[in-house]
Amino acid sequence: MKVSLKLANQYSNVDFTAVSVDEILRRIGAQLGAVEEVIDYASRFKGVVIAKVVQCEKHPDADKLSVCLVDDGGVAQGVDRNADGLVQVVCGAPNVRAGITVAWLPPGSTVPSSVDKDPFVLGARELRGIVSNGMLASAMELGISEDHDGILVISDPGATPGSSLLNLFGLNDVIIDCENKMFTHRPDCFGVLGVARELAGITGQAFVSPDWYSQSAVSTVSPGGTLTLTGKNDITHKVPRFMVQVVEGVTMGPSSTQIQSWLSRLGSRPINNIVDATNFYMHLTAQPTHAFDYDKVKALCEDPENVVIFPRMAVEGEKIDLLNGKTITLTAEDIVIATDKQAIALGGVMGGAATEVDANTKNIIVECANFDMYTIRRTSMRHGLFTDAVTRFNKGQSPLQNAIVLQKLVADICEQTNAKAGVQYDSAPEESSFVLEPVAVSVDFVNARLGSSLTAEDMQTLLTNVEFLVEVSEGNLVVTPPFWRKDIEIVEDIVEEIGRLHGYDKLPIVLPMRTTAPAAKNPMLELKSALRSTLARAGANEIVTYSFVSGKLLEDASQNTSEAYQLGNALSPELQYYRLTLTPSLASKVYQNIRAGYDQFALFEIGKTHIKGQGVNDEGLPIENEVFSLVYAANDKKVVNGTGAAYFDAKQYLDFVARSLGLTLDFDPIDKDPAYEITKPYDIERSALVTDRSTGNYIGIVGEFKNSVRKKLKLPTHSAGFELMLSPILESITGTKRAYKPLARFPHIVQDITFKTAKEQQFGDLFEVVIEIAQQLAEGRGYVATVESRDIYHKEHSPQKHVTLRLDVHHPDRTLTTDEVTKFVDAIVTAVEQKLDVKRD
Amino acid sequence: MSSTSYTIPSIVRASEQLTKEFAKLADKRAILRSKNLEALYAELRTLPNEEKATFGKELNALKSDINSWLNDADESAEKQAPIDVTAPQDINAAAPQLLPGETGTKHPLMTELEYMSDIAYRMGFAIEQSRLIDDDYHMFESLNFPEGHPARDDYDTFMTTEGLIAPAHTSTMQNRVLKKYAGNLEKGEPIAVLVPDRVFRNEDLDVTHEHTFYQYEGVFVGEGITVGNLIATLRTLLSEYFGQDLKAKLQPFYFPFTEPSFEFAIERPAALRKGDTEADMWLELLGCGMIHPNVLSAAGIDPVKYSGFAWGGGIERLVMMKYGIEDIRHFESGKLDFLRQFS
Repeated sequence: MKVSLKLANQYSNVDFTAVSVDEILRRIGAQLGAVEEVIDYASRFKGVVIAKVVQCEKHPDADKLSVCLVDDGGVAQGVDRNADGLVQVVCGAPNVRAGITVAWLPPGSTVPSSVDKDPFVLGARELRGIVSNGMLASAMELGISEDHDGILVISDPGATPGSSLLNLFGLNDVIIDCENKMFTHRPDCFGVLGVARELAGITGQAFVSPDWYSQSAVSTVSPGGTLTLTGKNDITHKVPRFMVQVVEGVTMGPSSTQIQSWLSRLGSRPINNIVDATNFYMHLTAQPTHAFDYDKVKALCEDPENVVIFPRMAVEGEKIDLLNGKTITLTAEDIVIATDKQAIALGGVMGGAATEVDANTKNIIVECANFDMYTIRRTSMRHGLFTDAVTRFNKGQSPLQNAIVLQKLVADICEQTNAKAGVQYDSAPEESSFVLEPVAVSVDFVNARLGSSLTAEDMQTLLTNVEFLVEVSEGNLVVTPPFWRKDIEIVEDIVEEIGRLHGYDKLPIVLPMRTTAPAAKNPMLELKSALRSTLARAGANEIVTYSFVSGKLLEDASQNTSEAYQLGNALSPELQYYRLTLTPSLASKVYQNIRAGYDQFALFEIGKTHIKGQGVNDEGLPIENEVFSLVYAANDKKVVNGTGAAYFDAKQYLDFVARSLGLTLDFDPIDKDPAYEITKPYDIERSALVTDRSTGNYIGIVGEFKNSVRKKLKLPTHSAGFELMLSPILESITGTKRAYKPLARFPHIVQDITFKTAKEQQFGDLFEVVIEIAQQLAEGRGYVATVESRDIYHKEHSPQKHVTLRLDVHHPDRTLTTDEVTKFVDAIVTAVEQKLDVKRD
Repeated sequence: MSSTSYTIPSIVRASEQLTKEFAKLADKRAILRSKNLEALYAELRTLPNEEKATFGKELNALKSDINSWLNDADESAEKQAPIDVTAPQDINAAAPQLLPGETGTKHPLMTELEYMSDIAYRMGFAIEQSRLIDDDYHMFESLNFPEGHPARDDYDTFMTTEGLIAPAHTSTMQNRVLKKYAGNLEKGEPIAVLVPDRVFRNEDLDVTHEHTFYQYEGVFVGEGITVGNLIATLRTLLSEYFGQDLKAKLQPFYFPFTEPSFEFAIERPAALRKGDTEADMWLELLGCGMIHPNVLSAAGIDPVKYSGFAWGGGIERLVMMKYGIEDIRHFESGKLDFLRQFS
């Protein structure tokens, strides 16, 4: 929303020029909202000098050019002058003549209209052999209007040679571009008048709207006129108020330089006097209006003797040609303005081409209406039409200003174009249904919410400064919002208004008081934090990757895209699906790091995943899986003789995590592919399902990847990973104590035992049996024993392998003898040999 | 071989033919160029729009099946021997070693969120996570954005084909945490919750814009809570974060879920100042405001008796300033060159 400070000042009883621009900007920032840009509009006119054409003669070598001598009062520096101090300028404009006052752009100045595009700096150069010092400017070259038929002729009596153009047309201006977002609930601030009122309010001054901008200024006498017009409104739920008025006998032409100059700096291109007038009042009051060519409308009525105009919902599939040259197909959700024969405008959005006001227009219909903001917004989105009218209507304008704006606009057009006001239609002359109820609020409530200590009178002054009506009685305020406000409905709205106008920077800043009750812990976040630290301690790197992945990545990971939630408006195919599990995301980050020169690394991520087949929670929303995953990779440089399968690298990370959390995990071979999304990237013959021993819950998978996955994601041969679900882990560790064994006071005896067993014998089964027996036998003897793995040896082609386990045994109260240990080991071996098909080696 | 049952006759037929063809192929990948498959795509193009969806869905399923055949074929082509997954180490191999601890790192964003959470926790805030798939009710409706509200335009949300929403702010959790901790109020305790989590915005990437980023949402509700409390709480939190006492500034703003609403700026810490203009002085950090009574009511909290404030800010910019990180896209890049600098 662009605000011209000059225009604001012109329509305000308060003089903003008395305050510095910096101070105004500071106040806006603190009490109104963000400023996107401040445009020093005046600076572009600084070089422009007002000059008088003293002499004007035909150029000897060019029909269309004139050679002029201008009097600039001698102000321009470094310019060639004749003996009389006049400057020679060549001009091509048809209207140049001796005696007129013009805007001269001396050499070295920049053409004002080029400032925002490609700044053009003038010099002294020859035109057909005659030197021109700069140029005489048209209004268009000055960037203040669309007029390029000739140079700007200045008639202002104060415009003496050598004076500055800045004194004219309010050009000594600053444009403040306020962020639209902060005015979402302030439809009135999309007009300069509304912003001017706020500027007064936040600088602590009482604003008084212009006389015409009041409900009591509206004349109740209809002027009548000779042309007929019938209006109606059957969709008051979509168009709360519909007003039209005929203006008879308009004289079309350009609007004044002043009006064009306001519009240009506010971002509207001047078109003609009628369209410019509607745009000007929109910029001023925030109320968009539209002018139709009466005679074109008439021709589009069933009976040209009976001109009818009204809003209605479009018929599905109906077409309309718009002012922007496009033809759109309407839906039954769009509002149109129509005759009894066809739609002539897209209501609240854009006029139709068929009834456009043009140079030949004689009579017009001015529409000033109010539309349902939601419908306008949807129509705008549906058809991709973003106009100034949409920006204002979709904030919800007040229907109470329709009659006021229409009356002022029509009066202005009549005055400017020698026209006569004609018949008017108003669908809601009884305005009572639009009037907001007063809001009653206590002074204490306002102070309690703000933390302030304002008196009733303070509050009253702040609010009446911006034209609220406030009645004070016994510590209570009854606040009646002015007719242009639509956002004042609840007590909090009054709190906001008072707080803002008072200044939030003046409020006492105090921390809230509370008891010493501790804040609740979040066990899941604590678990995640612990995992992060544990894995980082073990040399792994945490990564964070997108929740969205490509369908290709899912397919490359052997996963099923139809199980993944799909975005309907993805930025690219790369980000089309919610990921099913983390492993593919991690695996997809391996190759780039190998290429970057990292030979060996472990990446991990903690995140959330979604699988359609898992269904929904009690809110009816997809179940979210808390998961964490790690991928270990090493390139060939790091894989040497004696390096085992990558599986064991991933598994040791998992063992490390389990130990740090106090978990005991079981690794079960997979007989039958469970085909869970979480297991799909893994080669089941080189992977294990992971279960938590204490609860028996399945918690995930650890293993190497399928060949296809490895190839497609360019993983090195030596790569493996795991993916675990955190919820069952959390359930399992909650309340578990870390296993602690008292330290031994007497020496440990360590002895290795090697078993020869079938190659197919699972290590885990053997190990479990050995541990169970060792502990059983130790307990009977009063010993303490632990067993761990030492080595697994297999000679090529042999049907057998050798498993070496290390037994660690001690007695809590005395030193064990060698004999005792030997007997103990023998007993273990005998028992194991009885239970399993193994032999001591 | 086929895992999906099809209903459209031409797809059923093609599926059978493709199955036979696949069995005979030497170069299995040639199946992707099969005439049978091409014919289906040709057919799809000729269909009227209303039939395209169903046909396309089955065709995609068939394509997915073919991919799984190919994956299976790849598998059997280069089968590796099974391993004893119950063992701690491989046959004839040394026991595996963890990587050296000094190479390990936590992700800088996670470190920072933990740091921020810790400050809030010390200030009495419980910490909660947010959801990554949510609905319109939590994204907009419970936050006083009725259907069609123009403020919805300011949130470029991703939506799933079912109409679910990838949250564009952590405020999706406001209604939930207000309900979850409503019991605090009865005990005379405030509701104080921080929600640091991932959010999404449908916008193009560049050095300062990511479609995926992290916010920290604060919610504080109790009796007699004022705008002054909001300013003090945020100033304290951020001063603690930056390790120095900072001035704060509020700028009025508009959010449907707070009334009044503000943008909160702090005095830019001296170390992060480039010049000394007004713009250099202030650092806009987050949006905040007093929770709208409709939001409290939606969570069953009496807006006359209780009041409160909420805020939401992004974490990436803080981390980028702290370390001088030049490109926001590094965070989700998975590059070890980047990650290992944060050991």
